[in-house]
Amino acid sequence: MTAMQPAVGASTSSDMTINLGPQHPSTHGVLRLMVALDGEYVKSCRPVIGYLHRGLERMMAARPYRQSVPFTDRLDYCASLNSNLAISQAIERIGGMAVPERAQYLRVMLCEMNRIASHLIFFGTYAADIGATTAFLYAFRERERLLDLLEAYTGARLTYNWIRPGGVASDMPEGYAQAVCAFLDGFLKELDAYDTLLTKNPIFRVRTEGVGIISPEKAIAHGASGPVLRGSGVNIDLRRTEPYDAYPRMQFDVPVRTEGDCLARYLVRVEEMRQSARIIRQCLREMPEGEHWGKQPKVFRPAAGEAYSRTESPRGELSIYLVSDGTANPVRVRVRGPSFVHLSMLHELVRGVKVADMIAILGSLDTVLGEVDR
Amino acid sequence: MSGITSFIRGFISILQGMWITLQNLVGRRKITLLYPYQRPDISPRWRGIFYLPYNDEAGRINCVGCTLCAQACPTGVITMTKMGAGKHASVNAFTMDLGRCMFCNLCIEACPFDAIHMSTRFELASLDRGVSLLTIDKLARGGADAVERTKRTIEAALEQEAAAKAAAAAAKAQAAASAQPTEGSGA
Ligand code: SF4
Ligand code: SF4
Repeated sequence: MTAMQPAVGASTSSDMTINLGPQHPSTHGVLRLMVALDGEYVKSCRPVIGYLHRGLERMMAARPYRQSVPFTDRLDYCASLNSNLAISQAIERIGGMAVPERAQYLRVMLCEMNRIASHLIFFGTYAADIGATTAFLYAFRERERLLDLLEAYTGARLTYNWIRPGGVASDMPEGYAQAVCAFLDGFLKELDAYDTLLTKNPIFRVRTEGVGIISPEKAIAHGASGPVLRGSGVNIDLRRTEPYDAYPRMQFDVPVRTEGDCLARYLVRVEEMRQSARIIRQCLREMPEGEHWGKQPKVFRPAAGEAYSRTESPRGELSIYLVSDGTANPVRVRVRGPSFVHLSMLHELVRGVKVADMIAILGSLDTVLGEVDR
Repeated sequence: MSGITSFIRGFISILQGMWITLQNLVGRRKITLLYPYQRPDISPRWRGIFYLPYNDEAGRINCVGCTLCAQACPTGVITMTKMGAGKHASVNAFTMDLGRCMFCNLCIEACPFDAIHMSTRFELASLDRGVSLLTIDKLARGGADAVERTKRTIEAALEQEAAAKAAAAAAKAQAAASAQPTEGSGA
């Protein structure tokens, strides 16, 4: 029993230890937070993870390279195309495969669509965490239309498995570009309205402004990435600093805010949705004709060695490390996920804040437990 | 003073929010469906429950039992037993355990004979685990009948092949036999 007690510094009899989760709606999945409370103030918080552990890294290592792609769908299931891209890139690097230019554009387009879908989940659930149910429903309505588009392309709504080593599994269906543009036109207008619903709302602002401040030094020290890092004023976006696929040819802004609080992280994500829409438009406009899949070796046995691929997933840096010993299966697959890193900051951020603020801070980190637990 | 300004600001924000919700309430079509009664439009690319298409012309299902799909599957969903041989081969058992399936499409892409497809059927939930175990009778378009016909087609083709082979062998033997006496008489 003592092992289950959270590490509370000076525990007094007025402290109360409660469990938040693993089925609490605010924990966004199966996360359990063991919180020691002094009245309404959090004295310490210990996340207990592993409820969703499936041993994905090992499962991927036990299979031929190309069969590991569908498992990455189950990492960050809110943005599985981005995870597909990370593993595909690692496999391409280790096997020296080339990706045709059209496939690069298709990949970027799919990833950005998935980024919008993922940020919409954040937008909706974050609003719900703060207590604004309307915005939640609106965000999921927009996401639904986006998922319809992804369904028309890939045939799935959540676990796509459509970006593969060497390209993309299929080309766009007919009339797809028009459908996507039509969606984006409507979506951007709606997004402004939804954003007004939250950012102009004094309650939302009071709940988020100045709450959960992460200084740039702390963000870097913890290895934060993505919107959490950029919300703290550090301008690092792997799509810009280490561009891959068609990103070097894309024009987009990387939103950065210096406040480092929950509101800053929220605003960065909302602005990223607008930038993603810009990137998708550019992809559709500039996409060259050609193959959607490069030449594939029949038997894939990369030479012994290692490869590391870094990608910018909606949550931050998602990287995959592969080691090959020259056989058909990798020796080791290692996933470096952003959610895990961000969750490790939580206990520091919530010390001394009120319980309700803890929920706001956890929501602003936007963790996905599928990728934390693997 | 600041209390009054924040009150006014809060009041304005309520009006703003209500204006947006009102616009959404009256101005936008609802996108929810009364599900079991109304059905969604499903993309033709949908990755749903599998089927083995029946080839009317050939009178058989396309599958030749090459096991490439089973090898491509990351989770070992597919098992099969082959029947026939050589050019006339198919399967008499082909089982997919959908409880393990990720609907990842890899098996479909692996098949060189276009013999396994995914349909737009998506309703997998059931109270009985056995339902997710799809045997060949459930997988083949046309059901047990199609499987039976495939079996007959293959058997007939094999018989025909055997007969043709026997006839060829007999003809060869006859030719050899008829050649012998000629040779003998010639000597
Ligand atoms: S869809 Fe994927 S998991 Fe399912 S049977 Fe095919 S290869 Fe196996
Ligand atoms: S379905 Fe296709 S890949 Fe699978 S055994 Fe039949 S012919 Fe071969």
